[in-house]
Amino acid sequence: MNLLAVKQPPSGLTPNPRTSPVLISAALISLGFVALPLVYLIGRALQGDIESVRIVVFRAKTLEVFTTTVSLVVLVAGLATFLGSALAWTLQSIDLPRRNLIRALVILPIAIPSYVFTYCWLSLGILPDGFLAAVVVLTLSTTPYVTLAAMAALRRIDSSQVDVAHTLGLNQFQIFLRVTLPQMRNALAAGALLVSLYVLSDFGAVSLLGVDTFTRTIQNTYQGSFDRSSAAVLALMLVALSGIVISLEVSSRKKTQVTRSSVSITKQIEPIDSLKARIIAISLLSTYILAALIAPMSVLLFRFFARPKPIDLLGLSQAAFSTILVAAIGALIALLLALPIALLALRASLIGKVAERGVLLVNALPGVVMGLALVAFGSDFPMIYQTVGLLGVAYAILFLARSVGTIRTSLARVPENLTEIAATLGQSKARIFYRVTLPLAAPGVLSGTLLVLLSAMKELPATLMLRPTGFETLATEMWSNTAIFRFSEAAPYALLLVIIAAIPTFLISRPDRQESTEPMRDEI
Amino acid sequence: MFKRLAASLLTLSLVASLAACSSSKIDGDSLVIYSGRAEEYTGTLFEDFTRETGIKLDIRYGDSAALAAQILEEGDNSPADLFISQDAGALGAVSSEGLLATLDDAILNRVNEYFRSQNKDWVGLTGRVRILAYSPKRVTVLPRTVDDLTKPEWKGRLGIAPTNASFQAFVTAMIQTRGEVETEKWLRGIAANSPKYFEKNSLIVEAIDAGEIDAGLVNHYYIYEVAEELGREIDVKNSFFAPGDIGNLINASGIAILATSKKTEPAEKLIQFLLSDTAQQFFVDDVNEYSAVDSSQSPGELIPLSDIKAPRVDLAALKDLKRTQSLLIKVGLL
Amino acid sequence: MTTLEIKDLGVHLGEREILRNLNLTVPSGSFAVLLGPSGCGKTTLLRTIAGLVRPTSGAIRFGKQLVSISSLVLPPHKRNIGYLPQEGGLFPHLSVAENVGFALAKAFKKIERDSIINEMLELVGLTGFNNRKPHQLSGGQQTRVALARALATKPAIVLLDEPFSNLDYALRAEVSGEVVALLKKTKTTSLMVTHDREDALVSADLIALMRDGQVVQAGSPENVYMNPISAQIAESTGDILELPAIRVGRRHYISALHPKSKKSFGKSESGYLLVRPEEIRVVETKKGTKGLTRATISQIQYYGHDAVLELGIAGLADELKVRVTGPLKFEVGSAVFLEHVGPIRWVSQIPTGE
Repeated sequence: MNLLAVKQPPSGLTPNPRTSPVLISAALISLGFVALPLVYLIGRALQGDIESVRIVVFRAKTLEVFTTTVSLVVLVAGLATFLGSALAWTLQSIDLPRRNLIRALVILPIAIPSYVFTYCWLSLGILPDGFLAAVVVLTLSTTPYVTLAAMAALRRIDSSQVDVAHTLGLNQFQIFLRVTLPQMRNALAAGALLVSLYVLSDFGAVSLLGVDTFTRTIQNTYQGSFDRSSAAVLALMLVALSGIVISLEVSSRKKTQVTRSSVSITKQIEPIDSLKARIIAISLLSTYILAALIAPMSVLLFRFFARPKPIDLLGLSQAAFSTILVAAIGALIALLLALPIALLALRASLIGKVAERGVLLVNALPGVVMGLALVAFGSDFPMIYQTVGLLGVAYAILFLARSVGTIRTSLARVPENLTEIAATLGQSKARIFYRVTLPLAAPGVLSGTLLVLLSAMKELPATLMLRPTGFETLATEMWSNTAIFRFSEAAPYALLLVIIAAIPTFLISRPDRQESTEPMRDEI
Repeated sequence: MFKRLAASLLTLSLVASLAACSSSKIDGDSLVIYSGRAEEYTGTLFEDFTRETGIKLDIRYGDSAALAAQILEEGDNSPADLFISQDAGALGAVSSEGLLATLDDAILNRVNEYFRSQNKDWVGLTGRVRILAYSPKRVTVLPRTVDDLTKPEWKGRLGIAPTNASFQAFVTAMIQTRGEVETEKWLRGIAANSPKYFEKNSLIVEAIDAGEIDAGLVNHYYIYEVAEELGREIDVKNSFFAPGDIGNLINASGIAILATSKKTEPAEKLIQFLLSDTAQQFFVDDVNEYSAVDSSQSPGELIPLSDIKAPRVDLAALKDLKRTQSLLIKVGLL
Repeated sequence: MTTLEIKDLGVHLGEREILRNLNLTVPSGSFAVLLGPSGCGKTTLLRTIAGLVRPTSGAIRFGKQLVSISSLVLPPHKRNIGYLPQEGGLFPHLSVAENVGFALAKAFKKIERDSIINEMLELVGLTGFNNRKPHQLSGGQQTRVALARALATKPAIVLLDEPFSNLDYALRAEVSGEVVALLKKTKTTSLMVTHDREDALVSADLIALMRDGQVVQAGSPENVYMNPISAQIAESTGDILELPAIRVGRRHYISALHPKSKKSFGKSESGYLLVRPEEIRVVETKKGTKGLTRATISQIQYYGHDAVLELGIAGLADELKVRVTGPLKFEVGSAVFLEHVGPIRWVSQIPTGE
């Protein structure tokens, strides 16, 4: 029988491995959401009165703002990367008592909103306000983003490499420089990018310290002149700037292939057990924890105990519930938007890549821009306008960048042979994703989503515009007190916000306990 | 662990959507207010109003300028019935887009003429006066006019907040009364004295108290707020300029009904309530602001509005900040 | 009962041609082994049969069902195959029972599923391991669980990709023996990839020898061992001696082991004789050595159960390696006599290189 003599292709045989249309449409929807603020900005910018836009954009101040913003981003990203990798290496490589606790404490500063952080530091009175103070404050509060990325990268380095380097005559420092650091490069670049975007979009610290970055200038343009077109043009300049930062990160990324052949059976690096190393480690870690956690928290506690009025327990608990609720919705939406983007980006699909970059671009936008964009689109739909759902969408778009990278990496680390076996065991692509890929990537997917949750809890400007009328979160309660200079009355809200935000932070700080597949010894 | 996570996320989203439905439902009968004035500044007035009239209120607090921007973005779809603003500029911005409804004459006539918008679409609730906050210890000779502040003896001693709406409104008023050329001259004079720049008026007052600067251009009520927050007497006092000087500009917090509102009648009731003698008395006694109705009233030990002899300016025109900002940009303050 | 039939299969990965014009038929219920050096395309062939690699040409048929023709393929999850990759590939997040029942989740009720799982675990000798996690198993146990998982759906065809390569040497024979016995017992059509020739010879019903993306010879183990089509192919199933020789006429050969005789006349041609080391008899005594070749022992490699003698023969440049069994009675330097007792395999040319 001639096998090749078949006139019609038999049913069930497919010519090309197609990417599922469901996945592509899901990614397109995600992309649509991500594009919303950009579409809004372009629309607003085009509507503007050219003359007044010209005045705002081509003033001497713009160059100054540009320089200030760029120097702030470069300095903070550089310092945070240095500090973050040092902290991560210390935590991972030196044998310390209560390492899990210390790890949590080092990550905990991201639970403190930047306006609270800055306010507390200002209250200490040891920082002059201005550019340098902004560098210090932003570095301290963003370092955990790098520390997290660096710790994850360090955990993936096999101890045998360190052992071999030792036998080749390298000391600990040389090993870090020549073996460990090069392998952390991509993770550090990703961390530095998140820090840069954070600095670009931050309003809390720069406004309190009087540093004229793009974000503060945009806010002032709205506030001073109600000139939405000029503000949109400035925001687009900010987007362009973040585009440059993103492409820098992409080009600095080393093209290392992610090994996907099997679940890694990496033996973790044995911690160094030496007194000298411990002393250095403890002093580094405690200095950081003192500056980034204890200092601001003690001011907050002082304010809390100095408050003139009793705590409004009902208001406090309602605000806490609202905060958790709306942040969780945001995190959930972010997860749904991030998964298709991450999956398509993994397959080197154009839509995936565009969406992934778009997500990063949008992350640099100040919350007020996102708020207004969703006001502009959302107010056409009274059913969803000023509901927690739409606010969740705003959070998701704003902070998608903080989860999409982590999610993509953890999906990429699911061994390909396992998904192939699942296919031979009769599982369709969708079922393989649900039964194998997602559970194996769960720790990473979870931390990415928790990072969105955490960021959403702290968000203010978009919350003010998009929350349901009368719906108060901890951040808005805090704002309504600080706006009229009742800092002590804001303290309970700030404190509770930090405490609640500490929970996801703590979960993120734990190393993912992926079960090792290293086989047991055979008993013969 | 994955299944538990998925299950808990699912439950959470269910609860969330339920909560979303229940919390987003604005009662069809209630008035929606976008308030740029903090809850603290209205005290129990809103509750009293609901108790008296049975009209429910849904209040969205926010920053006046941000709320104005939000109303502008919402356009005809705005769910708001009323807009309360901290300053006249934000009201003017919304008014000039034609988004405010014309007010009833009874309301317009209730307030002092100064607090009526020329478009007849918003009224002032309270008056807020620009003053010079100063340290009585370090400032012995008070300036008579704002022009005195450009003199060399003020070099490095003054604090201003050029990005703040209240300062920009003051400059706008100066352009209105003196013209652009004179205003530019004054701004250059101030800039030449290298003042310290602040984000907020309250920070200026705190800086005076801390001895960083000797005086600053702020609104009159900040010294009370800062003292209350710090919980002690502060080394800062208010001083008016000579009668009629532009430095004594009176700005207004105000209220307007949105053109899209279908609840004009209850909305007017609320405005009338806020302009009633009791409410106005509350603003004077408890918020330390001037009454928009009775110019003989004054907060604390300050002189009454009628004695300040504030310059006549069109409050509604205070929203026209484009020229002001270009000017501030030109002299390098923005 | 499913025959696996592959016809003119071609596979490219990117620009590289991995398989070309490959033909192979594995009869229903038999255990076939793919043997070949690394890089010859064994694993690619297996993955193509599984549907994980898309071919560029040719056809694959499972019994009567066409699963692949030209570049049209049936996706892997519709092929009803069992696949045992290297290292087992157990799902680390699932228990042993969940791994074994992985493919059953949808089609069976829980009770049915549990009974199949227990049946499968009993089959591979791991009864009661249901709730263990993969990392709590030894390598051998992991392989057996992977097999149970592959067999749980009663697949028509089972594909094994060096499933025992990460087991300890001592364990490998035991586990592979068990697995092969099991597959034969269940009469499953199986195809296993290996580069271990002993593995292949011991277990296979059919051996397919691969070189450069093609099956160059296929047949029973005895057949491919005894009748290799070339010196290289012969090497893939066992050691081989390439003995320079001259063929005289049609039936007579002259070489170091085949002295000249009176019958050796006629048209002559030079070439090689392929001789397996165990096909040479080594005689120590001087009696009855007439007509045998004299050689000197230059080295002895002692393996315990047998030994390899390296022998120098006058007129032969290379040393001859001969396998001897039984109690060792030879010494280095002593002289012995050699006799060829196996079949004659004549090749006219030994190709150089691959």
